[in-house]
Amino acid sequence: MLAVEVSEAEGGIREWEEEEEEEAAERTPTGEKSPNSPRTLLSPRGKARTGGPMEVKLELHPLQNRWALWFFKNDRSRAWQDNLHLVTKVDTVEDFWALYSHIQLASKLSSGCDYALFKDGIEPMWEDSRNKRGGRWLVSLAKQQRHTELDRLWLETLLCLIGESFEEHSREVCGAVVNIRTKGDKIAVWTREAENQMGVLHIGHVYKERLGLSPKTIIGYQAHADTATKSNSLAKNKFVV
Amino acid sequence: MSSSAGSGHQPSQSRAIPTRTVAISDATQLPHDYCTTPGGTLFSTTPGGTRIIYDRKFLLDRRNSPMAQTPPCHLPNIPGVTSPGTLIEDSKVEVNNLNNLNNHDRKHAVGDDAQFEMDI
Repeated sequence: MLAVEVSEAEGGIREWEEEEEEEAAERTPTGEKSPNSPRTLLSPRGKARTGGPMEVKLELHPLQNRWALWFFKNDRSRAWQDNLHLVTKVDTVEDFWALYSHIQLASKLSSGCDYALFKDGIEPMWEDSRNKRGGRWLVSLAKQQRHTELDRLWLETLLCLIGESFEEHSREVCGAVVNIRTKGDKIAVWTREAENQMGVLHIGHVYKERLGLSPKTIIGYQAHADTATKSNSLAKNKFVV
Repeated sequence: MSSSAGSGHQPSQSRAIPTRTVAISDATQLPHDYCTTPGGTLFSTTPGGTRIIYDRKFLLDRRNSPMAQTPPCHLPNIPGVTSPGTLIEDSKVEVNNLNNLNNHDRKHAVGDDAQFEMDI
């Protein structure tokens, strides 16, 4: 992986006042101008500068994308979409953790519930225009894995998404879903174009490795169009890794 | 009339925006400017701009940030989700107080979740 030297890397965090003079002369090896003089990112929650010392100028680390967390509760007396609730949106690493730490673990949800984390603007349903030509990498868990594996695998999935772990193919990612089901829980990463073989396979390989699945474990990718017409999990795998 | 709408246009050739990856292993490597990315470009407008990639160790380290300790503002009260003390027990509990979304009656959908059965 190409690691471009970033000017702030040397010597830790410098005061921006000191940096302004140097900046004009300081360029990255690629010849690009170095980043603008750093400014403290003010917290939208108004926390910065409240504690006195410099280090309390708390940093937020922006994510490449803003992500929306959705919660689905299976109430069969209501339409599917009426059971879908937006919990909140996050666009910094810190806000992600604030959210994650203040919601129920997936393994503690009741059966029939889902969490979904999707890029802002994409609804967690295959009908969305950015999902409908896509599909999902599906990880099916055995019943007993809810208490041993589910939370770890789901968190790893979330970190893959917000950290853009699939590099340039991360733009293919729409979101991820965890289904809590009596018959066995499922986790899936949704991508937007099932025909993008290179992107789908790259994502699948990286995802499988990040989950720490054994090489013997096979996970499959199914096009939403196939899943929708099958009405059960017999949809064929378009790809496997 | 037989051709599709917009047939007057030549299909445009689209190409992916080229990206360059900058590996970040520590918070000090990040620009402090909210709109810049490591490497110093604005990704959203700059061809060849960088993508903000965080490895899992960095993300996990940030879990203990003071900024991550307080709940997000405007977190809706969803029993069993955002208020863990009141865990829902299976389907006994109504979710009618979720998000004020059900102040009016809803028609029951035909076939309930037939729209997207991904969970069987």
